[in-house]
Amino acid sequence: MGHTSTLPSSRPRWRPPAWLGWPWGVLSAACLAVLALFVVLPIGVLTLNSLKGPGGAFSLGGFAKVLATPEYLQAIGNTVLLSSAVTLCAVALGAPLAYLVARFDFPGKRWLAVLPLATIVIPEVIVGQSWLMVLGNNGLVSNALRELGVPVPSFYGWTGLVFSMTLVYYTYIYLGVLAALRGFDGQLEEASLSLGATPAATRWKVLLPTVAPAILVNALVVFTLAVGNFALSSMLGGGVPLLSVLTYSLFVSEVGGDPVLQSSLSVISIALVAGVLAVQKWGVERRLVHMTPGRAPAAQPVHSWRAALFAALAGGVVALSLMPLAAVLVGAFTEARGPVMHWGNFSLRSMERALSLAPEPILNSLLFATLATLAGTTLAVAVSYLVVKRKSRLSGALDVATVVPLTISGTVLGIALMQSFNTGPLVLTGTAVIMVLVYVVRRLPFGVRNASSMLYNIPSSIEEASISLGVTPLATFGKVVLPVMKGSILSAAILMWATSISELSASIVVYSGGLETMPIAIFRQVDTGRLGLASAYGTALVTLILVPVLLAPRLLKINLFSLK
Amino acid sequence: MTRITIDRLSKRFEQQQVLDDLSLDIEDGHFFTLLGPSGCGKTTLLRCLAGFARPEAGRILFDGEDITAVPAYERNIGMVFQDYALFPDKSVFDNVAYGLRARKLAREGVRSRTDEALAQVDLATLGSRFPAQLSGGQRQRVALARALVIKPRLLLMDEPLSNLDAKLRLAMREAILDLQRATRITTVFVTHDQEEALALSDRIAVMQGGRLAQQGAPRELWDAPVTAYVADFIGSANLLKVRVLAPGRVAVDAAGAVVAGAGAAVHGADTGALPAGAAGLWVLRPEALQLAGASGGEGSDAAGRLPATVARRQYLGARTSYRVTLAGGQALRLEQPGPPAFEVGAAVAVLVPRDGRVVAG
Repeated sequence: MGHTSTLPSSRPRWRPPAWLGWPWGVLSAACLAVLALFVVLPIGVLTLNSLKGPGGAFSLGGFAKVLATPEYLQAIGNTVLLSSAVTLCAVALGAPLAYLVARFDFPGKRWLAVLPLATIVIPEVIVGQSWLMVLGNNGLVSNALRELGVPVPSFYGWTGLVFSMTLVYYTYIYLGVLAALRGFDGQLEEASLSLGATPAATRWKVLLPTVAPAILVNALVVFTLAVGNFALSSMLGGGVPLLSVLTYSLFVSEVGGDPVLQSSLSVISIALVAGVLAVQKWGVERRLVHMTPGRAPAAQPVHSWRAALFAALAGGVVALSLMPLAAVLVGAFTEARGPVMHWGNFSLRSMERALSLAPEPILNSLLFATLATLAGTTLAVAVSYLVVKRKSRLSGALDVATVVPLTISGTVLGIALMQSFNTGPLVLTGTAVIMVLVYVVRRLPFGVRNASSMLYNIPSSIEEASISLGVTPLATFGKVVLPVMKGSILSAAILMWATSISELSASIVVYSGGLETMPIAIFRQVDTGRLGLASAYGTALVTLILVPVLLAPRLLKINLFSLK
Repeated sequence: MTRITIDRLSKRFEQQQVLDDLSLDIEDGHFFTLLGPSGCGKTTLLRCLAGFARPEAGRILFDGEDITAVPAYERNIGMVFQDYALFPDKSVFDNVAYGLRARKLAREGVRSRTDEALAQVDLATLGSRFPAQLSGGQRQRVALARALVIKPRLLLMDEPLSNLDAKLRLAMREAILDLQRATRITTVFVTHDQEEALALSDRIAVMQGGRLAQQGAPRELWDAPVTAYVADFIGSANLLKVRVLAPGRVAVDAAGAVVAGAGAAVHGADTGALPAGAAGLWVLRPEALQLAGASGGEGSDAAGRLPATVARRQYLGARTSYRVTLAGGQALRLEQPGPPAFEVGAAVAVLVPRDGRVVAG
C-alpha cells in the first residue's frame, strides 16, 4: 500500500464490566421488564382476581357462578359454536378461492390482489356498521326487498354473525393457502403423474397433504380471532349471548364493583384461546411440510363457461369484501336522520360535523396510533433482534413473553390492564398511555414475527464484519442491521399503524372521557343510531389507513404483503 | 507486523470440546493456514483470534500483549468471511470505506485510501455498484479490499474460496497470495482444502478434534506426516499396514501379500522413531506408486512389488486413476500419467517407492 503512515487503530474506550452484560443482556432485561409489567403482570392480576372470594380469600366461587348460570354457559357454548361455524365457512370460501387463483387464469383475476388490502384497510367496526346499513332492519337492501314484498329474515343473530365474520376472516385462509400453493413444488405432481397416478388422485394424495397443514394452522387462527371478536359480535349479535360481549357488558356494569365474575369469564376465554394455540403449536405446526421451494405449476388459462364462472365467483368475493368500504363512503355523504339513511340524497352535514364540530376522536386516534406505531415498532424490532440474534436465557424468556398476547382477546386485555393500573403504584387509567399500551401489546406478537422473519435472512457475518472493522456491537446494529431491515421495518410500522388506528375491543374497555378514538366513536354512534356521523368517522378512519398503505409501496418500494 | 501466540487455548460448546489446550505460534508476516475437516476446531480458533468467540481457558497474545479480553472491535483485525459478508445496502466504495470511517479518518483520506484499495483488487471502476450487482469473484475482492484497507495487524480468512467455482478459485488464490506477499500482513487462513493450503501457506497447522495434529511447512507435511490422520488428510494417501522389522525395514503384513526382496522385508521405508516390532502404516501417495504388468517392472529401483488385480479405473484426461486390490484384500489407489494401460480384472504389480514414510498404525 502506498500509504506508509499507520492508521489510527480503534481506540480502547471505557468498557462496562462483564457482569453487566452490556449491551444485549441489559437490553434483554429491559424489554423483559416491559413485557412482564404490561403483559404478564396484568394476566396474573386477572387470574388472582378470578380466584378471590368474599373478603379476598382464595375461592373458586367466580368459576362456580359461571358454571351455575345458564346464560354464561350458553355464552361459552355459543362462542365455540360460532367460532367453529365461522372457521368452517372461511375455509370453504378461502381455500377453493386460493386454488382457483394459484392454478387458473381467468378474466378479472388480478382484482383478487386487493383482497389482502381489504382486511387491513377495513376495520371490523366499519364492516359491522356497513352490513347493518345494508342488511339490517332499516338496511338499504332489506328495505328494497321488503318493498318488493319479499319477506326479509332478521339479519341480527346467527345469520349476520356467521355471514360478516366469514367475509372478514376468510382472507386468512385464502392468503395462507395461496402461499402454500405457490411454494408447492410442481415436480412433485409430475413425479406422481409419471408414476401412474391420475390427476385427480395426484391432487388428493400429493397436493392436499402438503396444503392441509396450512389450512389447519390458519383455520385455528381464524377460530381464535372469532372467539375474541368484539365489534361484529356486539353490533350484529342481536340476542345471541357471546363470551366477549358478555364479558364486556359485565365490565361496563361492574366498574368499581366486584371484579371476580368478569375475571372468571376472562380467564375462561384465555384458556379457550390458549388451548387452541397449544393444539396449533404442538399438534399442527410439527406437521407443516417444509418443502424445498420449487417451481409452482403455472396457472392454466380457462375459457368459455368456466372462465365466466370463475370470474363471477372472484368478482362476487371482491365485491362482498369491499362492500363495507363503499357503504361507509357513500353513507358519509348521504343525508341521515338518526338511523334512517336517505339514500340518494347527498349531504355534507355528517362529514362537516365529524371534521369540524367533533374532531376529537380523529385527533385522538392520530395521536395514539402515531405513538403506538413508534413504540410498538421499536419494541418489536428490539425484541426480535434479541431473540433471533442474541440468544440467551433472557432472550428466550422474551420470546415466550411476546407470544402471550396472542392468547388474550382485546376485551380481556383491556380488563386486565384496567384491573392492574387503575389503582396501586402505577395508575395509567384515564391517560393516553393506556390507550397506546393496548395498541402496542395487541400488535406485538405480529410485529415481532415480521421483524424476526427478516432478521433470519440477515447473516450474522455482516455484523461481525462491521465489528471487526472497529465498530461496537451496538453501533453495528444501527449502521448495518437497521439499514438492511429498513423496508421491513417500514412495512411493519404501516401494519402497526393500520391495526392500531382501527383497534376497538381493548380500547373501548380502557378509554375514558376525552380519550375517545374513531372506532369507539363509530361504535357509540351506531349504538345510538347516528349512522351518518358514524359513516363520516368511518370515512376519515379508512382514509387515514389507506393513505400510507397505498403510498408506501410506491414511495418506499416496499412490499407490505411479504409480511402479514 | 504481528506475531501471534496462542497459549493453551480451550473452548467448549455444550458437550463438545472444540479447542483442547491448544498452543501455537504464528510468525510475523507469515501466511499461516489452519487445515482440517469440519468440526476440527479451525473456525473456532479463527473466531477466538477475531474476538467473536471467547475461550474458557488460555491466552492469545499479539506481539506479546495479552488481548484475550479485548473486544473484537478494538483488535484492529481484517476479516474475510466465507459468505463475503458485504453490507448489502452499501455501495462497493462504502463497503470498503466503512472501516476507515469508523476510524474517523478525514474525508480525503477515506477517498484516497479506498480508491487505492479498490485499485489494488482491480475494482477501481466498480465503486458505485452494489454487492448484488457483482459476481462472486468481485464480491470476494471487495471483501478483501475492505479487510486490508484498514491496515489490520492481522488478516483472518474463513474459507474465503469455498463459494467460488474451480477456475475462479485458482485466480483468487493467486490474487490473495500476491496481496499477502506485497503487504506482508500476518495472515491466518482457514480451509479444509489441502491443495489450497499447500499452495498458499508459509506454514500449515493440521487440526484434529480441537488439537494440533501437526504443523510445519507445506513440504514437511507432505513428505513427513507424523500420523496417519495427517497423511490421509494431506494428499489422501494409501495407508498400507506393515510391521516394523528394524529402522528402515518393514514387512508387509497383509496376509498373502508377497513382498519382493529378502523374505518379507522391504528396505528403504522411513520408519522414523518407530521401534522394531511396532505396527505401522506405510504412507503411499497414489501418484508415487507405479503399476506394472504382472511380470514386468523388474530392474526398477522400487522397494517392493505387490501383486494386485485392477478393480476399477477412471480416465481423467492427463491421468488415469486405478483402484487395485492386493492379494491380501487391501485396496490401493494409484494415479498414472497418460491414458489407461490396464484393463479391469488384469493381474498387475504395484511398485512401491523407497522413500515412503511409515507412521504409527
